[in-house]
Amino acid sequence: MVLTPDFDTRPVITFQHVFKTYPTGTQALRDINLEVPQGDFLFLVGPSGAGKSTLVRLLIREEKPTRGKIFVDGIELGRMKRRRLPFYRRKVGLVFQDFKLLPNLTVYENIAFALRVLGEPDHHVRSRVAEALDTVSLSGKEHTYPANLSGGEQQRVAIARALVHAPRFIIADEPTGNLDPATAWEIMQLFLRINARGATVVMATHNREIVDLLRRRVVAIDAGQVARDDRSGRYHDDVAQSQVRA
Amino acid sequence: MMLRNLKFALNSAWQSFWRNLAVSLAAVLSITLILILAGINLLVGHAFSQVLDGFRVKVSEISINVADDTPLQTTYEFQQQLAADPRVISVQFVTKDEALARFKADPQNFVLAQQISGNPLDAKLDVQVKSLDDVAAIDALGRHWSGVDPTDPTNYQGDFVSRMLSLSSWLNLAGIALMLILVIVSVVIVMNTIRTAVYHRRKEIEVMKLVGATEWFVRGPFVLEGVMTGLIAAAIALALLVVAYEPAVARFKSDIAFIPLSYDPAFISSLARDLLLGGAMLGALGSYIGVRRYVRV
Repeated sequence: MVLTPDFDTRPVITFQHVFKTYPTGTQALRDINLEVPQGDFLFLVGPSGAGKSTLVRLLIREEKPTRGKIFVDGIELGRMKRRRLPFYRRKVGLVFQDFKLLPNLTVYENIAFALRVLGEPDHHVRSRVAEALDTVSLSGKEHTYPANLSGGEQQRVAIARALVHAPRFIIADEPTGNLDPATAWEIMQLFLRINARGATVVMATHNREIVDLLRRRVVAIDAGQVARDDRSGRYHDDVAQSQVRA
Repeated sequence: MMLRNLKFALNSAWQSFWRNLAVSLAAVLSITLILILAGINLLVGHAFSQVLDGFRVKVSEISINVADDTPLQTTYEFQQQLAADPRVISVQFVTKDEALARFKADPQNFVLAQQISGNPLDAKLDVQVKSLDDVAAIDALGRHWSGVDPTDPTNYQGDFVSRMLSLSSWLNLAGIALMLILVIVSVVIVMNTIRTAVYHRRKEIEVMKLVGATEWFVRGPFVLEGVMTGLIAAAIALALLVVAYEPAVARFKSDIAFIPLSYDPAFISSLARDLLLGGAMLGALGSYIGVRRYVRV
């Protein structure tokens, strides 16, 4: 059964009966079926070890599914040739809990890095980085090194790097995991702005407050399976919660 | 775009070389030592090939002794036949009188020359053969000639020549084997040094891959860094070898005088070319292999 909310737009991400078993024998995902339309904002929630990170790893093709198919923008990730992978990743903006900034590069250089690998000309890099810095409200911090920034600022640099090449998808794995609630909320506002511009956002998170406040689409993963897919959901299942309370 | 990528790779390689100076210097030192050994191998090989060439010239000249009763016409005909042979460089006819004069002119024969009465020496054909491998065939030709002195047909020393040939091929083989060992050892050293550098930068590589860098975009700076390391090492090794070359030859000559070793400044340019090319290639190959594990997506 494909759990798909009643969106009228064409899906840009599709999981069809996806299974993932690691070489150690751990079955991380079982029969995942999911469709994500263009412009959607989707929270992946669930307890640790439920399979959220595996799902993200499959989406960025760090892993291949053991069985089933994953389509992103019409490309079947499992069958994509290795040499095509860099070109796929250029369509995606990635944000991680540990920011993955390069400590020996300045803020400007870190963001410009995503454009340098594309071979963009210098003048183009300059204007795009300035624009990205403006979006994440970090103008004036170009020459600062990551070590001299707060956690929230570092995550904003990571987001600027993820969006500087105008990707169609943003995939975020616990982007607020290392941040205090106020900073986490600021970061979420950024993601919402990016989403409002048309980018599809898939975010794995443990942040219950934010999920409950935003009331966006929530896909709950439990024991490697899609346990729930609510178009405007909460972190915990309302019915289950009421049953617990009762 | 290619140029921009090359500029980026060159910048990254240069920065990385200086940023990881300790690792870079370790790599330079290792490759320098390997290249010095390789350079010594080349220089010794060249010196011995010079010595062997000298011997070769000597042993590839044989004398075919002409019997006293052989008509001059027959000797001239055989001389022409030999001169027309493609294996032969030159043939010189030495008369009995010339042979005696040469014998007497040699100071080593002074005492013997005093005791000689008449001319016991044969007239001879001195044949210069192109290749050492063909000397035996020319010797056989001479021995089968009707005008040859049957008691002492030629001065060909087959054993000596074959020993020379086998020594020369063994030396070549030993040189190649030593070179091969040096290449393998240096590739392993460079590979491990670069792997250490890559390990320090694995986070950077991970980020590069995540933002969509191609394998060559990631690998390029490391390979260039390897080339740079190899070239610096080659330049140091070359400088040390050039400085030590002439005094080492002089010392060798004074210690072991019977081996006619000589200093050959013309060889330095070919040594420079080989070392620089070798250093660059070793650096590139070591880096290519060293970085492969981390670059594969």
